[in-house]
Amino acid sequence: MAEIVLALAASHAPGLAGLYEGAPEQTKADVDKMYGAMAAEIAAANLDVLILFGNDHLANSKVLEYPDFLVGMAEEHSGPYEWFKPWLGCRDYTLPGRPDVAEAMISGMARRGIKFFGRRQNLRFDDNLSIPTVLCDLDTNQVPVVPVLQNCTVPPIPDQRECYTVGQALGDIIAKDLPAGMRVGLFGSGGLSHEPGGKRYFYIDEEFDQWFLGMLEHGDHQKLLDEVTPQRMEQSGEGGTAELFAWFILLGAIGDRPVSRLGYTAYDNFKCGVGAVRWDMGAGA
Amino acid sequence: MGLDRFDPNLVTHELIQDLKWDAALRKRFEADQTSVLDLYPLRPEERTAIDDGDFRALYDMGLHPYLGGQLARLMYGNAAGPDATRAVNRLVASLTGEDRPDDRTTT
Repeated sequence: MAEIVLALAASHAPGLAGLYEGAPEQTKADVDKMYGAMAAEIAAANLDVLILFGNDHLANSKVLEYPDFLVGMAEEHSGPYEWFKPWLGCRDYTLPGRPDVAEAMISGMARRGIKFFGRRQNLRFDDNLSIPTVLCDLDTNQVPVVPVLQNCTVPPIPDQRECYTVGQALGDIIAKDLPAGMRVGLFGSGGLSHEPGGKRYFYIDEEFDQWFLGMLEHGDHQKLLDEVTPQRMEQSGEGGTAELFAWFILLGAIGDRPVSRLGYTAYDNFKCGVGAVRWDMGAGA
Repeated sequence: MGLDRFDPNLVTHELIQDLKWDAALRKRFEADQTSVLDLYPLRPEERTAIDDGDFRALYDMGLHPYLGGQLARLMYGNAAGPDATRAVNRLVASLTGEDRPDDRTTT
């Protein structure tokens, strides 16, 4: 059986690259601490593959034909997509893919009654993959990645319970379908509170962010599933905060594990509460 | 005004997606917005709202807010810094009815 040896989740926001230099020194220090810690964890984990879940942001499919989960099956993943470059202001990158793992995930999900779509061509990546790549040095370390871009914002949206179920299926696929000895990392990319395109564009709900991170640290999955609802997320940022559904996929995949908060910062020009966590995969589930 | 009014059928969604994905179409839009809008079967009120930069009206018709933010960038500027500041502030001003000074640098 393959093994999940690393599980991380963190925010992405274009400003983390494009507006980093102009941010307050404390904000920059907080960002450096969070993403530097994750970069070190990833580099030390000797991963065979990093499976990353993040919001597609309506970047790859038309609204009328929108998949809930779209797996990047390419041999290589390059970004950022051209239109996002001036927005993101980060370096170009190319990452190795793992088409074999992508195919195993798609077929494994199908056998478990869950529809994952796939695309063999390079996907259009914005901050969902680009921010973790450049801030965690996935490109410089050539970490093999399978990106899964999910529907966090086009109703009807797979909610926290559906995502948790998807995560449980993912954990089962990793345990039973992927090759023995394969070292797998998981990354949930998205959140915390934000409202892209809304009338509260610059709003960050620090109270929600701290509440959510505290709930994670408490570790009661049932309480998280009961209380971190789509309605509660929308109160803290329409169309953005729900990116935290990616984190629920990880929760389902790894089960009950201790979690460490790597940091948090709220800088309004980032237009997003920025936080990061690491689950302890050495502890018993 | 948000996702509660979302209408997947709104043709403006297709316009925005195509503009993001087609650099030649985007260049044409920047030079001659009218000729690009003529390519799409927009409802009259939808067309008027785009011409007027009336995001509030578009959201009320069912435009997805995330794509609304991107339409603002397509119309007013996409680069991090003053361009994006103008785009975000004009969007928020349309949605709230309150002018925002262009005093931020954003992305």
